[in-house]
Amino acid sequence: MTNWLLGAFAFVGNRTVSGLQGMGRAWGLFLGATASIRNVDVWLPHLLPQMARVGVASVPIALFIATFTGIVMSLQASYTLTGAIPVYFVGTLVGKTMILELGPVLTALTLAGRVGANISAELGTMRVTEQVDALETLAYDPLAYLVVPRVFAAVFMFPIVVLLAIGIGIASGWFTALQLLDMSSPEFVKGLRLFFEPWDVWFAVIKSVSFGAVVTGVGCYFGLQTERGAEGVGRSATRTVVVASMLILCLDAFWATVLL
Amino acid sequence: MERRREALVGLVVMLGVAVGVVGTIWLQGGLRRDMRELRAASQNVGQLVAGAAVKFRGVSVGHVDAVNVAPDGEAVLVHLSVEPDLVLPADAAVLLAPESMFGDWQAEILSRADFELFSFLDYPEEGVLPAAALPDFSRLTATADQIARRLTTISERFEVAFTEETALNLKNAIDNIGAVSDGLSEIITQQAARFEDLSEGVNASAAELGAAARQARLSFERVDSIIANTQVEGMLGDAGVTMSNLRELTESMNASLGDLRSAAQRADTTFARLDELLAAVESGDGSLGRLLGDPTLAEGAAEAVQELRALLVDIQENPRRYLSFSIF
Amino acid sequence: MSIYLTEVHKAFGPKEVLKGFSMSIEDGETAAIVGPSGIGKSVLLKHVVGLLRPDAGSVVVDGVSVPELDRKGLDRLRRRIGYVFQFAALFDSMSIAENVGMGLRRIPGWDRRRIEDRVEDCLALVELAGMGDRYPAELSGGQRKRAGLARAIAPEPKFLLYDEPTTGLDPVTTSAIDRLILRMRDELGVTGLVVTHDMTSAFRVADRIALLHDGRARFSGTPAEVKAASDPVLKGFVEGDPDLYYRDGRRREGMHAGGQDHGA
Ligand SMILES: Nc1ncnc2c1ncn2[C@@H]1O[C@H](COP(=O)(O)OP(=O)(O)OP(=O)(O)O)[C@@H](O)[C@H]1O
Ligand SMILES: [Mg+2]
Repeated sequence: MTNWLLGAFAFVGNRTVSGLQGMGRAWGLFLGATASIRNVDVWLPHLLPQMARVGVASVPIALFIATFTGIVMSLQASYTLTGAIPVYFVGTLVGKTMILELGPVLTALTLAGRVGANISAELGTMRVTEQVDALETLAYDPLAYLVVPRVFAAVFMFPIVVLLAIGIGIASGWFTALQLLDMSSPEFVKGLRLFFEPWDVWFAVIKSVSFGAVVTGVGCYFGLQTERGAEGVGRSATRTVVVASMLILCLDAFWATVLL
Repeated sequence: MERRREALVGLVVMLGVAVGVVGTIWLQGGLRRDMRELRAASQNVGQLVAGAAVKFRGVSVGHVDAVNVAPDGEAVLVHLSVEPDLVLPADAAVLLAPESMFGDWQAEILSRADFELFSFLDYPEEGVLPAAALPDFSRLTATADQIARRLTTISERFEVAFTEETALNLKNAIDNIGAVSDGLSEIITQQAARFEDLSEGVNASAAELGAAARQARLSFERVDSIIANTQVEGMLGDAGVTMSNLRELTESMNASLGDLRSAAQRADTTFARLDELLAAVESGDGSLGRLLGDPTLAEGAAEAVQELRALLVDIQENPRRYLSFSIF
Repeated sequence: MSIYLTEVHKAFGPKEVLKGFSMSIEDGETAAIVGPSGIGKSVLLKHVVGLLRPDAGSVVVDGVSVPELDRKGLDRLRRRIGYVFQFAALFDSMSIAENVGMGLRRIPGWDRRRIEDRVEDCLALVELAGMGDRYPAELSGGQRKRAGLARAIAPEPKFLLYDEPTTGLDPVTTSAIDRLILRMRDELGVTGLVVTHDMTSAFRVADRIALLHDGRARFSGTPAEVKAASDPVLKGFVEGDPDLYYRDGRRREGMHAGGQDHGA
């Protein structure tokens, strides 16, 4: 009994300590990366390639998801809004949910898998094959060389990808409303405009920026933490996706309370 | 390779920014041109908020820029941005009202002359349009409720005033009329019994007068009950009915009396009483008529009284004319 | 331009790898550290360049204490140090030429042309001329190792740290590499530290040889002294006689049992 209790306490204590350790390391990474922003000459040449990798290459999957989200939103909105509620509320629902929530969050969750895992695996492989050490011996700051351009690229490109996703999502929702729901364009647009606030778009952009930072930051963190070869690389990628997804949802709730 | 990648990144960035900017502008309802600034002042603005549509003759011509309380705290200033080439009516006013059941409120520019019902606020500053806010739907029902309650109070008060100041007279008058008509038919019956040679027609006329008198009594009883119940609205209608009944009575009397000169001679005291009574009715009726805002009732009654009095005077002065072939 | 390691201690968790290693490499000298697989040679080398910090003891390179350097100081030092990784550690997203040019791009005032010329020269030195456009994955292990060597020597460092530069190479290439190491010392005055368990190589390139054993420098001396030494552990290692080598070390066998064995 006492043993069991001791074990339980030890487990909790152990987890607490390792959790705090992880947070400390993450904080250290954050501070280091922030300090490394100084080394502009190191990260600037890599910004564009990373923007292409993080942003441009993510556009197809983001648009694919947004397209189907728009269609489903439209259909489900019309299914939900029956009776006394005017049909143009389908437009309101599609627009509002795409801009405020689904555009940023679904895109970010997808990119947590696509970009986060990719970064984590790449940096993890670099870590276990001593490429990170090699960078250091060649007097490159690995944080400036690896982390900063990736995070910056995501911070710039996530909002872009999200805006495109929102646009496509609304367009596909609109198309669905016209083709399958017997709505007219003016009706849909009326609903879209009814409760639209320009602030909504800013909200989406702010969220996307934070999601971009989180996805790439977590990817870099677990990537650089990688130990023990190929297995470690795989574990880092998995952890990245899980932790980044959780953080995205937490941040989502955070922004909703703070900004709305 | 490098150039292509740069171009691709550039393209995606531009596309994304374009979607964001153009989409926002489009969803906002178009690019805002160089707008003309208008100000309007209202007691309150209901649910109007910045960004609401400004309409003129049903056409969206701008939006509300800001809504804030005037420096003196006595009004709300609504700042409007409208199309620069909009020609406003000379007596332009702004009506703040819900756009739809679900939507936001809107500010509608209209000609004040067409909507005099609304109490637009005249703000003592040059260039500030008068504005009024429609009550909200909920407020509307509340107001209606209030009005109904006030009406009830008014009618209650009216009832009290009417009964106390006027109704007593009228009641007496009606009682008297009842007595008169009773007496009248009694006289006629007596006359008919005493002068057996009185023609059949006279008899019939006497009966007719009796019926008319009874009808009049019924009418007055109705007035009586109306006064007791004080259904203000019904009273007006019933007053009309009463008036026509009175006229009918007068006419019947006129017709009958032509054949009843003899009977009437003996009835001068009764008619004197009727005169008194009708004078009372006249004064009572006058009050009633003025109270109800319907002068025709009083006029009709006065007319009837006038005719009766003229008849009575004529009977008294020239009894022979009426009683030429009577027993006297 | 010298390297002084004094009483360096390093443990990974409960595992003590270095337990007071001391050695000094004078200016222009090339030293070799020998020892069996998993004994801590690579760990030791990483202390010199600041990739690892000692738990205790001092690492002084070119007059500065490496563990106390900040990022800037480390970078400044590292520009004068070439490090040849045991497994090359080439950046596999870059071509060989780009890999070799990495260090050069950090030197102020070097333009494209100059970098390209230098890269070509270095690739020729390690007999990889014309392979610059290839990617690391397209090279053999030995070629990769030489590309890593080329990358280390390209910025003309004052110090060169070789982590098993000849392991896995054929004898001809091995002696070519050994000759290159000697050339670095003789022509450029480079201070070198070669980690190896190839005794032939060690005898060929080193002015001094140290045997890393049980976390300390078991023996340190000139090649001649090594050959003449009577220490059974050293003798066992040099002659490749496990019976002799482990007779003394058997007690601590547990250390080797848990060791990571990535020798060749
Ligand atoms: N980052 C690390 N974390 C934990 N243990 C480590 C780490 N790096 C090295 N070690 C351990 O330190 C010991 C020495 O490793 P090192 O790589 O220095 O061996 P080595 O002498 O270079 O061997 P080889 O000749 O096979 O390369 C090994 O047992 C290894 O498991
Ligand atoms: Mg090693």
